[in-house]
Amino acid sequence: MSRKQKKNLIRIIISALLLGVVYLVPDLYLFSLLGIQISLKPLLFLIPYALSGWDVLWKALRNIFHGQIFDENFLMSVATVGALCVGEYPEAVFVMLFYQVGELFQSCAVGKSRKSIASLMDIRPDYANLEENGEISRVSPEEVAVGEIIVVKPGEKIPLDGVVTQGSSMVNTSALTGESVPVSIKTGDKVVSGSVNESGVLRVKVLTPFGQSTVSKILELVENSASKKAKAENFITKFAKYYTPCVVICALLLAVIPPLISGGNWSEWISRGLIFLVISCPCALVISVPMSFFGGIGGASKCGILVKGGNYLEALAKAKTVVFDKTGTLTRGVFSVTALHPDQCSEQQLLEYGAFAEAYSTHPIAQSVRNAYKGKIDPSGVKNVCEIAGKGVTAEVDGRKIAAGNSGLMDMQGVSWRPCHKTGTTVHISVDGVYAGHIIISDEIKSGAKQAITSLKNVGVEKTVMLTGDSETVGKAVGKELGIDEIRTQLLPADKVACVETLLKQKPENSTLVFVGDGINDAPVLTRADVGIAMGAMGSDAAIEAADIVLMDDNPLKITTAVKIAKHTVKIVRENVIFALGVKALILALGALGLANMWLAVFADVGVSVLAIINAMRVLSTKKYI
Amino acid sequence: MVKTFKLCDLDCANCGLKMENAIKKIKGVNDAKVSFMTQKLTIDADEENFDEILKQSQKVCKRIEPDCKIIF
Repeated sequence: MSRKQKKNLIRIIISALLLGVVYLVPDLYLFSLLGIQISLKPLLFLIPYALSGWDVLWKALRNIFHGQIFDENFLMSVATVGALCVGEYPEAVFVMLFYQVGELFQSCAVGKSRKSIASLMDIRPDYANLEENGEISRVSPEEVAVGEIIVVKPGEKIPLDGVVTQGSSMVNTSALTGESVPVSIKTGDKVVSGSVNESGVLRVKVLTPFGQSTVSKILELVENSASKKAKAENFITKFAKYYTPCVVICALLLAVIPPLISGGNWSEWISRGLIFLVISCPCALVISVPMSFFGGIGGASKCGILVKGGNYLEALAKAKTVVFDKTGTLTRGVFSVTALHPDQCSEQQLLEYGAFAEAYSTHPIAQSVRNAYKGKIDPSGVKNVCEIAGKGVTAEVDGRKIAAGNSGLMDMQGVSWRPCHKTGTTVHISVDGVYAGHIIISDEIKSGAKQAITSLKNVGVEKTVMLTGDSETVGKAVGKELGIDEIRTQLLPADKVACVETLLKQKPENSTLVFVGDGINDAPVLTRADVGIAMGAMGSDAAIEAADIVLMDDNPLKITTAVKIAKHTVKIVRENVIFALGVKALILALGALGLANMWLAVFADVGVSVLAIINAMRVLSTKKYI
Repeated sequence: MVKTFKLCDLDCANCGLKMENAIKKIKGVNDAKVSFMTQKLTIDADEENFDEILKQSQKVCKRIEPDCKIIF
């Protein structure tokens, strides 16, 4: 609780005690004035009333001079002063007191939830340990220049993006990616600002100034996210504009017209009108909707999903068509050995031939063969290496003549080879002129991709589409394995935009189209789609710029997580709007019929706000989304 | 030019809304946003009159919610 809140709490308690005392004292006649007996009790009630409500009355008065008529202070003042005038003294004090309790509750709830959401997004590093001439000084991250060396001790946040020059450690990126398993980092590896160094001391050479670092980009995105308002928020804004004046006019009519027509009891109808005034503040609505979206954005960022605004959560919740880019999104975008088809030797033997023959090659394919071969490659036994551009490589390994390359190389060597049914790049290998088999290298499908497609179907996505610039055989094979509905291959970047345009026309009414890409060359498509999701975007400027939602890690399953969070947020928003409006409408109706009292009215005002805020905080429990 | 300011003691969401609408009406302001959640005010306005616009925004803010202050 802040100091202001504590002060209010004390004031409320004292007022409540005073009210209790006044309530219990017997009614005394103070004195007789001109034959009218003046009672002491009503005057006594004014003490707790003034104590609990002086600020409300003062603000109301002050705001009237500022031209602000329909604010909640004014409404509460009129309602309670009205109650005093019609002789309902205890009610007036109770209502004022109850209103203050509600306001206090509300301000605590808002403050607490704001803090808990903000803490999820708080990845800002406070300081950097700058090393200069062997001395370490603590400076603000903004002051560190590119090329300088910073020291990151265990338990500290890495303040700037850089490359490790000394030391090894485990680094936790969970604040950025939502992935709780730490990554091992050694000399020469890049580290990202905002992650936490867990075990060893790291010496890091800074690569980017703080303003352009990953953490700054993310913070900027998150901080601006609250300014993009969802449709539901705009609806509430408009609604609030008309709601208060309407209810106030109704209150006036209710207080004046029935007694005029039927000549009934004035004070009875005035108190009914006062109930209307208490309910006329739209605060519950105005708070709960943005709060729910803010909670959704906070919950998503806890899972490593950055959402640029409430409107995107709203759009994502209606997603029925999801379009994927292939390379880098569903597949890893890195070539690796996916199959070994030896003819005479063992699989391991075949791989060994390949790895040794390509020991010196810098070709990406050679690299992936070497990566697949886990053992140590001793290049001293490799002689007479000859690379044949566009064909492959020949070499002498421990006295045996090995050729590794495509079918053209085999033909050149006069070795008979056999084609492979698997898709991908085939590396044929021959040993001493005899065909030994082939290695298939292809882009690997990401481990969560298949599950991602299935789970998307479970959360209401009707159609999945894959767009790729790759060949038809490769594209179809990947699409089929993942169970994607529609596959379009051999597309240039411009064709992808055209494809998305047609898909946008085909999508079911009142639904949205989501495009998921890796953000490297998808910028135009990302902006064209209703919701553009960029994945694996840590450190990629273009993706963070163009996308509406950014997945910090490479896991395609996070798309489903994002959709689930979006749906849950929208559901809570709907609940809050219906709940707040429903309760208000109900109490307005009951009030008009004379069945509600002011207590209920105050509950409809502040009680509903508090309940709506608590409901909004449910989005933050992210366990069920993963 | 777009600039963001922190708001201090913005206690009521509806007041934030009113402030936003009032600042939008100031001459030279293209867009304004008040976020109750982050307690921030974002003003998008013409660069040349920015100081003047800021002064007026402050006035508007004071008129609607005297407790709330724009921090520069």
